[in-house]
Amino acid sequence: MDRPENRLALVTQLDRDGRALRSVDVFAWPLTMGRALDQQLVLDDASVAAQHATLAPDAEGQLQLVVGHSVNGAWLDGQHLAAGSVRALPNRPSTLQLGHTQLQLRLRGETLAPERPLPPHLLRGAQAAAGSGPWGALAPAARLWLAAAVLMALLVVQHGLSLDPGADFTTWLPALVGLPAAVAAWCATWALLSKLFQHRFEFMAHLHIALPGLLIIELVDVLLPVVAASLGWPLLWRLTPVLRVLLMAWVVYRHLALLMPQQPQRAAAAMVAATVVGGAISLAFTHRSTDRYSAPAYMSTLPLPALDATRAAPTASLVQQLAPLATQLQKRVDQARDDGEPDADDGD
Amino acid sequence: MARPVRARRQVRQVRQVQGACPNMTPMLFAYPISSAQHRGRSTRRSGLLQWALWGCCALAAALPATAATANAPPTATTAAPAIGAQAAPSAASAPGPAAAVTGTGQRIYENTRPLLLQVRTLLKTQDSQSSVGSGFLVGNGGLLVTNYHVISQYALQPSRHRLVYASVDGKQGALQLLAFDVVHDLALLRLADPAPLAGRGAVPLRPADEPLPRGARIFSLGNPLDVGFAVAEGTYNGPVERSFLETLFFGGSLSGGMSGGPALDDQGRLIGVNVAARRDGEQVSFLVPAAPVRALLARGGGAKAITTPAWEEIARQLLVHEAHLTQRFTQLPWREAGHALYRIPVPQEQFMRCWGRGSPQAARGLQFERSDCAMDSRIFVSGSLLSGYITVRHEAYDGSRLGTLRFADRYSASFANEFMGVDNRQRTAAQCVEQTVAAGTTAGASTGAARATASKALPMKAVICLRAYKKLPGLHDVSVLVATLDQPTTGVQGRFDAHGVSLASAQKLAQHYLDGFAWTAPKTASR
Repeated sequence: MDRPENRLALVTQLDRDGRALRSVDVFAWPLTMGRALDQQLVLDDASVAAQHATLAPDAEGQLQLVVGHSVNGAWLDGQHLAAGSVRALPNRPSTLQLGHTQLQLRLRGETLAPERPLPPHLLRGAQAAAGSGPWGALAPAARLWLAAAVLMALLVVQHGLSLDPGADFTTWLPALVGLPAAVAAWCATWALLSKLFQHRFEFMAHLHIALPGLLIIELVDVLLPVVAASLGWPLLWRLTPVLRVLLMAWVVYRHLALLMPQQPQRAAAAMVAATVVGGAISLAFTHRSTDRYSAPAYMSTLPLPALDATRAAPTASLVQQLAPLATQLQKRVDQARDDGEPDADDGD
Repeated sequence: MARPVRARRQVRQVRQVQGACPNMTPMLFAYPISSAQHRGRSTRRSGLLQWALWGCCALAAALPATAATANAPPTATTAAPAIGAQAAPSAASAPGPAAAVTGTGQRIYENTRPLLLQVRTLLKTQDSQSSVGSGFLVGNGGLLVTNYHVISQYALQPSRHRLVYASVDGKQGALQLLAFDVVHDLALLRLADPAPLAGRGAVPLRPADEPLPRGARIFSLGNPLDVGFAVAEGTYNGPVERSFLETLFFGGSLSGGMSGGPALDDQGRLIGVNVAARRDGEQVSFLVPAAPVRALLARGGGAKAITTPAWEEIARQLLVHEAHLTQRFTQLPWREAGHALYRIPVPQEQFMRCWGRGSPQAARGLQFERSDCAMDSRIFVSGSLLSGYITVRHEAYDGSRLGTLRFADRYSASFANEFMGVDNRQRTAAQCVEQTVAAGTTAGASTGAARATASKALPMKAVICLRAYKKLPGLHDVSVLVATLDQPTTGVQGRFDAHGVSLASAQKLAQHYLDGFAWTAPKTASR
């Protein structure tokens, strides 16, 4: 009697996006696969041979994959097997490709991977799992709303500071309407891409990524220059745009990872490559025109008098720093001469 | 997130120029593209310079195009019949009844005609002219004088250019560059072969002990816009006021191409050399006085011809100039700006001109008053480099209607809104040092009040940026940027720029400027 719990294996045929098309229980070996109708698993695929492959245990009981008379051969876990080759199956779920057809093989007695938690936006009404600190203790939905509220407050205050007092209400609209609309449009775009790749319109999932990301970027943008100015650390101030770019890349990476959950490494590699190449090009342009790797010539944020922790030096000490600066510039001039830069009036 | 847009709006607000445009257009007639490039490049100059030059550069760029198409043909066609068949149009369009004066012009022209030359800089390879000016014979042995800016392309790139002359009667020949005075914009040349013009004599210099009265008629000669040799009549108006270098104010019209031509008194003696005109006025033109011509003649008459790029000699002359300028500038005490809290350094108006502007009274936002001081005298080095001058600027902000945070936002945005200069062919990119400094404590400001307040220094953020000239060894541009830091809703930001100075002068000038800031004496004394 072929009771479901007595199955020896489960073969699942997957579509191109990696989702199950049909599942077949296996109750006895061997399992023959091919296009011919006398096969146990019939695969309607023009690139599959009549008797393409067979799964059967050998003398010691180890399950083997035997590739039959096939032009294309087969791929076991991405490794190509030519016609006639024999390969032992591992004791974990493995993928088998015959022609265009993707099969997933699961065997009795395999080691199961642990349960993967749902993304936070799907945990409606559930208590947060083992979060740490006050942020972790909040329910995911509460976190989202908190991030949205803080972000909105920050942006509105920032926009308000840029307006003169008593400004017309229409000048508030960009912050009050435009910013939420922009965030919604951003998430909707990603959700459309999700729909394309995952067949799910994951708006909330992308919102869960975008809002905290934007909040962190905004906090860095607002706080870091002020802190740097108050402490008198130009280097920290110059790091702000770098940090902003890295955080943006991280947010985009998380969106991408949601689009292709099977290949998070590829998303990471793509973002790292894009950030490195883009950053290098941008730095090269900046260095070309300024001889520095940071575009601003000086730290332009001024400290608030109440927060100013810098120590005032005598003016003469600043003026004395010009001499080493001139030496440095002289090196640049010598270098320009050695490079044979064109004459000043060339082309005039 | 909305910050960049607003900051840009701020740029426009602060950069608007009103009336103040202290720049002269050198009277060189060059291929229009060169002027267009000049304009394009000048927009990339340091913030303040860019600010000051913008209006005038537009005029400079427009000069060859509009003058050549619109002005020149009417002058030639309408003026020529009035005088006769003689191709000597009076560019100044003198009033009709003054027949006697026109007669003088005719006599001057007749007498000077053999001595008048057009000086052309040609591209060596293709014989097309890259700039055209005028010149005149002086001294003995076929020497002639023109403006440095007429022959600057040859002086900087002798391997790619050559100099030729053309006389009124159509003779042509090669020229050699003997010496130049880049500060006064003069050059001394020699005919490679003096034979064709032998025996023509020279333009005499009016003796220094015979000062010309103001209002005297003088006659400027040259070849405007390469149209033809011309005499332009005008009045002598004495030296230009508040000019660091002595320059004569000629109340007549000068056009491109007349550069380097002589301006003569009614006896045909040299008063000055045509050099520049203001394009934002009418008949406001400038002459280099005869004294530096005399000095150049004495110095360079026997010199060897210059055949290598003259950058080192230009740098040497600019260093002499900047040392003199720095010394005179630092010797002058600062003026008061009349601010309630701070003593702000404003330069004396001996050789600088200051323009002030305030925000409208009804404005809801940031209230400010600004002052812009700049030197008129700028030294032409090449089409893309003016140097040897100082500008000083400050803005006093009152944010009492804004509150602390809004004021901090505007105040920082204004401090960020300063251009320090990027790397180009002439200069390196600006490199800066920055520091919070305590102003008003140094012994430099050694008035009694300043010493009394030494215990309570004025905290300021100060940035000093330096750019080095790539072709002119030892010369730098220095910019000092300052913002007071002590008040939550009031502040002053200042900027000082010196173009073409040595490192020692840069340090001296920066220190001098920083020492100009302090608390106002009355406030600290009374409280």
